[in-house]
Amino acid sequence: MNGFEITGWGMAVPERVVTSTQLAERFGVDEQWVVSRCGIRERRAVGPGQTTASLAVEAGRRALERAGREPGEIAHLIVATATPEQPSPATSAFVHHDLGIAGSAHDVNSECAGFVYGLVQAMGLLRMDPRPVLLIGSDTHTLTVDPADKDLSILVGDGAGALVLEPSADDPVLGWNLGADGRCTGSLKVLAGGSRMPTTEDTVRQGLHYARINGNEIYLNAVRYTVRTVRETLAAAKVEAPEVCHVVPHQANIRIINSIVSHTGLRPEALVTNLDKYGNTASASIPIALTEALDAGRIHGGDTVLLAGFGAGMTWGSVLLEWGAGWGDNRKGSA
Amino acid sequence: MSLPTIEELATQLEAVSGAEKVEPDQPLQHIADVDSLDLMEWLYGFQNAYPHIPADESLFADIDDTTTLRVIHERLLALAPAQV
Repeated sequence: MNGFEITGWGMAVPERVVTSTQLAERFGVDEQWVVSRCGIRERRAVGPGQTTASLAVEAGRRALERAGREPGEIAHLIVATATPEQPSPATSAFVHHDLGIAGSAHDVNSECAGFVYGLVQAMGLLRMDPRPVLLIGSDTHTLTVDPADKDLSILVGDGAGALVLEPSADDPVLGWNLGADGRCTGSLKVLAGGSRMPTTEDTVRQGLHYARINGNEIYLNAVRYTVRTVRETLAAAKVEAPEVCHVVPHQANIRIINSIVSHTGLRPEALVTNLDKYGNTASASIPIALTEALDAGRIHGGDTVLLAGFGAGMTWGSVLLEWGAGWGDNRKGSA
Repeated sequence: MSLPTIEELATQLEAVSGAEKVEPDQPLQHIADVDSLDLMEWLYGFQNAYPHIPADESLFADIDDTTTLRVIHERLLALAPAQV
């Protein structure tokens, strides 16, 4: 049992829609400027009572239902997030309780690459302990952005996506790669609220609890390192870029995604994107896009699927899977 | 590999931005189809073509509404004096 299969998937986004028209009016810019800058027409934002954990629970429940699994059957819960429920304890503890998971629970914070990092961890766990894993990416970055910050406000959205992975004789992983460059910690950051700068009245007054971005640095590093990780994963898999059937990138900015495709030789038609509807949902963006592609019947058994993420830090990672025939057919009541 | 001329630089920026015409002496911020992400996309290509030249995003750090492509070209030349 050295392999695994993906038996369930699901997503959750808040009902509240924030359009680029609304943001353009707020910031006194042209809507076309917003769309041309990032490719995002609308995004979802949490409302009262909605949190990173509540979205994670909703997505996780849908993935479990799809897999035909009860929460008590899950051996390990992994929650990728950079916008935790609270500083302590981990968000996964809240999700563990609300879903009624029986096994272990831990968080992964590799920013927007968190879901890919979590997937690689799940792959390792399944080798050591072949029992079901629930992997969730969930983020609520609209709560971390200064409402006056135009550059970040136009990008971020909230949401969660989840996968259920179960042991199988067949290994679907054709290649994978993870990496980080800790010299880039200044590109996207929240300065206050940690041990380096504990929260004080002064840090709040200065707005240091809000995220800050250097968009130019992020663009350059996101393209540079994602191109690198895609090339390394494809080389490990001995697969040529044009052969990849589906590419599910972190949905950060359409300009970054298009650049990555252009520089790697991946086919534009292979791209799975939905950031025009949801914006950059950070750790959730890959599983949300994957869920929509699967529910639309776009991905079939035998297809190659490349997941590629990058995030602040910088962190990056990619996994190339061969999608299994019949994955996700275990839903209760299915034939 | 010799550095691009100012005309070649303008052509490269037209290619990545889709701008119809990039004039070397026109302030970059006044060119409608060129934004900071276009400049980063151009820079990424430059870094790959000239990995021995330490050009990074600081090339554009203090860009204002008077900065032209010619200014950027001069900064590139200064980064690679042996190439001039």
